[in-house]
Amino acid sequence: MRTADCVVVGGGPAGLAAARTAARHGVRVLLLDENPELGGQYYRQMPATFATPDQATLGKESVEGRRLIDEVRALGVELRLDSIVWGIFDQRIVALATREETERIAARTLILAPGAYDRPVPFPGWTLPGVITAGGAQNLMKGYRVLPGRHVLIAGSGPLLLVVAHYLVSGGAHVAGICEASSMRQIWRYAHRMLPHLNFVQQGYRNRQEIKRGGTRFLTGHVIRRAVGGPEVTGAVVSRCDDEWRPVGGTELHFDVDTVIVGYGFVSSLELPRLAGCEHRYEPELGGYVPIRSREMESTVPGVFIVGDGAGVAGSAVALEEGHAAGLAVANRLERLLGRDYSREASRARGRLLHLAGFRRVMDELYRFGPGLYTLAEEQTTLCRCEEVAVAEALEAVRDGATHVNEVKAWTRVGMGRCQGRMCGPALSHLIARATGKPVTEAGIFTPRPPAKPVPLAALAHETH
Amino acid sequence: MTLDDLRMAAAVERGRTLSVLVDGQKLTACEGESIAAALLASGRRFTRWTARTGEPRGYFCGMGVCQDCLVTVDGLPNVRACMTPVREGLRVETQRGLGDWAVSQ
Repeated sequence: MRTADCVVVGGGPAGLAAARTAARHGVRVLLLDENPELGGQYYRQMPATFATPDQATLGKESVEGRRLIDEVRALGVELRLDSIVWGIFDQRIVALATREETERIAARTLILAPGAYDRPVPFPGWTLPGVITAGGAQNLMKGYRVLPGRHVLIAGSGPLLLVVAHYLVSGGAHVAGICEASSMRQIWRYAHRMLPHLNFVQQGYRNRQEIKRGGTRFLTGHVIRRAVGGPEVTGAVVSRCDDEWRPVGGTELHFDVDTVIVGYGFVSSLELPRLAGCEHRYEPELGGYVPIRSREMESTVPGVFIVGDGAGVAGSAVALEEGHAAGLAVANRLERLLGRDYSREASRARGRLLHLAGFRRVMDELYRFGPGLYTLAEEQTTLCRCEEVAVAEALEAVRDGATHVNEVKAWTRVGMGRCQGRMCGPALSHLIARATGKPVTEAGIFTPRPPAKPVPLAALAHETH
Repeated sequence: MTLDDLRMAAAVERGRTLSVLVDGQKLTACEGESIAAALLASGRRFTRWTARTGEPRGYFCGMGVCQDCLVTVDGLPNVRACMTPVREGLRVETQRGLGDWAVSQ
């Protein structure tokens, strides 16, 4: 089996920053990502076959990302793209696969930067083609310059909604409505605390004015109720919601659209850290589980570091600093950066993270996730997209005595499909909690199993050494 | 409502054009595009029909997580359209259920 000094999993902001810092201090880094290009979601780049006369027209994050990717390449970081990490064994043995073959690598230090994905929220019609996530819409527009549709409703929460609308409008699509779940009152409550971050506010404001001119309805305190149509989307219904984002009856509004974009924040990808054996705890204000970490970003498993949105969703600025801090710690562990040099660099990184923590708290509160969203699904709504299990079937299992997500999985096949419960897991634990009247933590989370993502059997049968 | 070519008219030079076959029909795509991007750009929103109820599915998460945009590529079922680039002559089939291995070669 091959050994490596430092393996970084994930080529988004956190993983790239970690790889850059470690490599700058002379660590030999191997960086793995399942995408054909580096960048992850936030720094998503266009394919190498695409060109633009002026990168600046592609937006700030594209330019920043390009610079960081070029630096990482110039530092000689070894890259494996198109490679799925499907398991982590004996704490730091990383199993990766292409379509053709698999390989195991023993990592002396392992930095996990798995990122996050759009919080899946089941509602009637959410499986119709034409209903897509905000992240998926972004990737299509940022990565390929393709519009997801012509007449679009955006529903969700947070600044990303405005960014998505901005892309749609600039690409010539009509945004019929933006439906923000937080109420104006909730947004104003924290608005003054955002003053130190004027840049961000200004950017949002500029986008919002620009979008309004195009005739977009901007609704606060509203949630998606259903996507309608068949076989593809022809419309959507939204309604008012309370402060917990529970829909209020009798306030429905209909939109004629061909596309519904849904973005209620993000959830961390926990599968790889959990396969490595890292311990997590539930953070209600983050709406999910986060790994227990030292200030060096080390998990409860020695030599395994977790950085970026995969360790609690906090955005790219935090991800970059966390990646940097882990890169320093790895350089120190491998004796490339010692004594006072390390202490000085590490304490600077901690200082910057502390400064960002204030902004992070404001964002957490401002865009706190409302569990009322999980009342949107009706009895016949599909809960598990892979195995096609309806909400009613899961609730029947709960009535028959199941209290943990793993029990409902065994009885109904919820979460047993190809996405490994990533799409239904968060909703299922909330459904169980509501049905049993117990805290959501008691419903638990699915136990991840290798392969963390599907890999062809032919690849598993062909191991390279 | 028509969704013909949804490629944005931005200041971007796309990769050279190539053709793929989608359910036997020729589709022009740009080198570097994912299968999903090429399908969506031409208004093709269905990637597969589910095994249990036979309902259509398409591009959803767009980042390789949800496993809903699965298609059969050159006879190999369950390939994520959002993560797989197009190539000249690629045979893409919208997939029924878990896919049919007998199609290969």
